[in-house]
Amino acid sequence: MIRSVLLSTMVLQMKQSFARPMFRFSLIANPILNTILLYEMFRHSQQDNFVSYVVLGAGLMAIWSCICFSSAGDIQRERYSGTLALIYAAPAGFPAIITGKILGNTLLSLSSLLISLATAVAVYHTPVVVIRPGYFFLAPVALVGSFMVISTVLAALLTLSRRTSLYMNCIEIPFILLCGFAFPIQVLPAWLHPISLALSPTWAVDLLRMAVNGVEDASLFFQKLLILMLLSVGYALFSGWLYRYMDRQVRMTANLEVC
Amino acid sequence: MEAIIQVENLRRDYITHRGFLHRNKEVVSAVRDISFYVQPGEVFGLLGQNGAGKTTTIKMLTTLLAPTGGTCKVLGFNTFGEEKYIRPRINFIFGGEMGVYRRLSARDNLRYFANLYGLKPREREQRIQDILELVELRDAADRLAETYSKGMVQRLQIARGLINNPDILFMDEPTVGLDPLGAHMLRDIIRTLHREGKTVLLTTHYLPEAEELCNRMVILNQGRIVAQGTPADIKGEAATLEEAYISLVQEVKP
Ligand SMILES: Nc1ncnc2c1ncn2[C@@H]1O[C@H](COP(=O)(O)OP(=O)(O)O)[C@@H](O)[C@H]1O
Ligand SMILES: [Mg+2]
Repeated sequence: MIRSVLLSTMVLQMKQSFARPMFRFSLIANPILNTILLYEMFRHSQQDNFVSYVVLGAGLMAIWSCICFSSAGDIQRERYSGTLALIYAAPAGFPAIITGKILGNTLLSLSSLLISLATAVAVYHTPVVVIRPGYFFLAPVALVGSFMVISTVLAALLTLSRRTSLYMNCIEIPFILLCGFAFPIQVLPAWLHPISLALSPTWAVDLLRMAVNGVEDASLFFQKLLILMLLSVGYALFSGWLYRYMDRQVRMTANLEVC
Repeated sequence: MEAIIQVENLRRDYITHRGFLHRNKEVVSAVRDISFYVQPGEVFGLLGQNGAGKTTTIKMLTTLLAPTGGTCKVLGFNTFGEEKYIRPRINFIFGGEMGVYRRLSARDNLRYFANLYGLKPREREQRIQDILELVELRDAADRLAETYSKGMVQRLQIARGLINNPDILFMDEPTVGLDPLGAHMLRDIIRTLHREGKTVLLTTHYLPEAEELCNRMVILNQGRIVAQGTPADIKGEAATLEEAYISLVQEVKP
């Protein structure tokens, strides 16, 4: 049952998201514009691997925006269309439904990476050099995993509140900066580093970048992968707890509907 | 016979915050100390003015809202805490045009909810075909719901509420905004469910409808029960149910 719930929610989510112009903008136009923006910014820098910061940076920013806008916006949309109560009270269980939605959004948003890559190649004739395809396969899997667990945490928090869109706008940019999507976190003030390191996408981005630039130290790569996995398990446990808390809380505060 | 719905001294307060700088807590008692029970197979009515507490009561019965106090049991289980035993066996329909995915067809809407209720693909398609026929949406089944008229959306809602063949169907003002034909169809569906031995709990404003359909009913006013019994009990000496209702509701007005 759980498989058909995940699968059908994922398909539903993709259909619905893609039907919205704003989502298509985030998914398609955003990575193209970000690639151009970042390229112009990096043009005169000392960085020599454009793929690493321009393509990945633009792609990651687009993925993040999609996830951010959809995990928040989807719950709000369900709330306004009167379906939130229906899916909430279905025997399938709300966490399974949310996971299916996030799975759909994340998979769909991965195409941003490809679009950003295609833009870089088409506009700037960037040579795409991926030195170690093995690692380059592992890293995106880790990335998707880390984005998914963080979205479940977000979705739970956003179900609790009706001021969803405010929070959604508040978290989008800080995450981009804190997780090092567009530039290394080393340029951030030192007191922010612990926060960056506690956010799982930081590690996933790091791995992705290592994979693109060539993994010189395999043990370092796997060390970081292990940290990412441990962090993700921590997030998953936290979101499990959060769902139980939310489940009671929304029914006490009557937050499932717009009243 | 064991009651299928059991409500004792049920209360629900809403706490709202007013003001921006000085947040004042304001408590609204939507449901105050109500008690009633419903037997299996009954069509039971919840009547009352706007704001009487009907929707709040239905939300507590359908596991969507936690009671502030009292007992709220459906199928013998507490609706807050034991909801997993209740949810597969009930369903609910809220009136109006809400509660469908407008960017999906009727069939896809029903397929999705069928999956959420754990129907197997084989029984799912058959069930969907049957209820589409029941609500007369078979010909429009594959068009997007956003192209539907108001009445069609409501019929789709009804179909969705029947997807898991529930033992109890809760309906909150199901005929609001429905055209006469739609309302007639809904009454037929309720009678069919009754014949099949299902339990139906519905709220309505439309008294002749309540009188026609309900075996028993309660009348709520400002969160309290002001009368309960069969339509004949409530009517008493009055000429019509409406007359009885009006005097009941006016009596307790402050
Ligand atoms: N989420 C809510 N927050 C605050 N007050 C509410 C909420 N929902 C309902 N109420 C109040 O509770 C009372 C009963 O409402 P409701 O149960 O919707 O009545 P009915 O369905 O009979 O019209 C009303 O005074 C209404 O304003
Ligand atoms: Mg109501």
